[in-house]
Amino acid sequence: MSTSTQTVLVGQGALIESLLRGEFICRTSNEEAWRALKSSTTRDSVEQYLNRINRTVASAGEGEVFFCGYLQLGDTERKVISSQFRDICNALIPLVEWLVLVQEASGQDAPLCEGAAVRLSELQMRIEDTPAFREQLAKISHYRLFGSSSTQVDAQIKLVFKRLVELGYLLRPNVEKQIYIATGKLDYLYEVIRFIDETEGLSLEAQAETATQRDLI
Amino acid sequence: MSSNLHQSGVTLLKLLGRHSELIMDVYLSGSVAEGGDNAAAIDKLRKAEILWRPKPGQDLRLKRSVRALLEETLSDERNRQIDANVGSGLATIKTLASHYKEARHAVDYSASEAYLADLSEHVYSFAEGLRYSIRVLWSRINNEFGYVGTINAKIRENELAQSQVSELLNGLEMFQFSELGELAGDIRELRKLLVTTLQETLSDCTQELSVVQGRLLELLGRFRQIQGRTRLLKGWLLYTDQHPDYQVADHVSHKQLPVLFNRAEALLAPAAVDVSNTGYEAELLQLVAQVKAISRVERDTLVREHDVAFALVDAEDFEIADNPLKLAVDDYFCAVIDSGLRQSALQYHQQQTLEWDPESWLYQVICGYEGLPEEHRRYFELEPIGEPHPTYSGNFIIRDVELWLA
Repeated sequence: MSTSTQTVLVGQGALIESLLRGEFICRTSNEEAWRALKSSTTRDSVEQYLNRINRTVASAGEGEVFFCGYLQLGDTERKVISSQFRDICNALIPLVEWLVLVQEASGQDAPLCEGAAVRLSELQMRIEDTPAFREQLAKISHYRLFGSSSTQVDAQIKLVFKRLVELGYLLRPNVEKQIYIATGKLDYLYEVIRFIDETEGLSLEAQAETATQRDLI
Repeated sequence: MSSNLHQSGVTLLKLLGRHSELIMDVYLSGSVAEGGDNAAAIDKLRKAEILWRPKPGQDLRLKRSVRALLEETLSDERNRQIDANVGSGLATIKTLASHYKEARHAVDYSASEAYLADLSEHVYSFAEGLRYSIRVLWSRINNEFGYVGTINAKIRENELAQSQVSELLNGLEMFQFSELGELAGDIRELRKLLVTTLQETLSDCTQELSVVQGRLLELLGRFRQIQGRTRLLKGWLLYTDQHPDYQVADHVSHKQLPVLFNRAEALLAPAAVDVSNTGYEAELLQLVAQVKAISRVERDTLVREHDVAFALVDAEDFEIADNPLKLAVDDYFCAVIDSGLRQSALQYHQQQTLEWDPESWLYQVICGYEGLPEEHRRYFELEPIGEPHPTYSGNFIIRDVELWLA
């Protein structure tokens, strides 16, 4: 009995640490912690702990992604949040362009979402074979978010993926292999776009729909 | 009559068996052109009405009934045909039941037997048909309509399946068990068929169909979500293209902050030591002194990251100086050969007043003996002198070794 409580406590320590490191916790990135947060008892005890340092467990993507938020918002907290919001807004266009590029180059119906795998070598081959994709990649890699100055597809795509791993959108489970897995942070990104779409009334989906219909005609 | 039917059935099945390859080819490709290598076989199948021509000038196709037989028995997932026509099945069952009752009433046993057999056949095949339809639906759900490629096609397939489910459910609603019960009256056989069997089947199937419906809706929701995300991304790109000076509004300045943007700053930053602070120098030095440098892994990756140039050249000759201990052992072997006598290694060690530790000496002698090539070793015999360990059996303590010529 005592050992089981101990393991739970140890697990919670790691869980709280990764929350406080500002990480997004999803099934792909940290399944154990994700399960713990899914259970209401552990989540409550984590929440209690975090509340003492003015933090709370926040979730997005229909409760599949967890991260750490502030409990009470003072001026300092608001400053942090607005700087983070600016960061994510600046990252939106490059990230969306990258997502569309990956989707189109790999010829898939669905854009990348949590748990989907990307094989870098395959993607690179397809991009190299198609001039339009090459141009698109060059454009994306030169955004400040990625900051490449290379003219080579190989260097560009490797840098983009490296940055995305750093930013937490992708995981690279095996350093020996060029296989990347999308994390729940991407789902968070979709939710941000959807939020902006709905609050500002941009009706993005309808626009895309009419555009595709026009293409069909 | 009956033997005639039996005979022609067997002929037909034989025909199917004889041309099984051809029939499977047609089943998989959809149609077959007349002529070619197996023109005779095709002609035979056409005469037996297994192949037919939908319109003049078109290729021959497999008869629907043969195709259905294959689809059913092979559980082919491309099969999305579902017989939702419950009404006609119900009408047949009711009619047969009336025939049976009439024949029974007229005490015509042979006719009533025949009607009952027919009726059971219909009831069972109806139940089997229903179960089969549900199985087809499940197999399509389970591979998430994997037989079509695009999300849009999957959504259409899903809608088709949903309409089939609701049709089936509507059909099942037509069953009024009070009516069937009345029809069956107090005849035991009829009650068993019409009420018990049918009711069991129907309640099972209705339950399962509602589960199917739930799963289909769930799948549709997921497909729509995927589709929605694609559109969202495309729409975003389109919008930002059309409005180059678009700026996302400041959603975080409101009093009520959306939960989505409430992200706390990382509290635990990656730690690093301030090496330029001289105040820590003593502690740092102490720490550094304790660090064991086991950096093989890191060094490896470092080497790999820099492309270190190297040239392939012939390896230079080099010599390894012989170990003096080894030379002394060689001398010992030579001494044994010269004298031809049994010689203890330790005695030789004392005689020659060798400087090495006796234990290493013994080790080296044993090694020297074991290290000899097989044909040389055969000239020598080496015997260890010692005793077994007093406490631990299986261990032998060597005090000395003796070497002589074999």
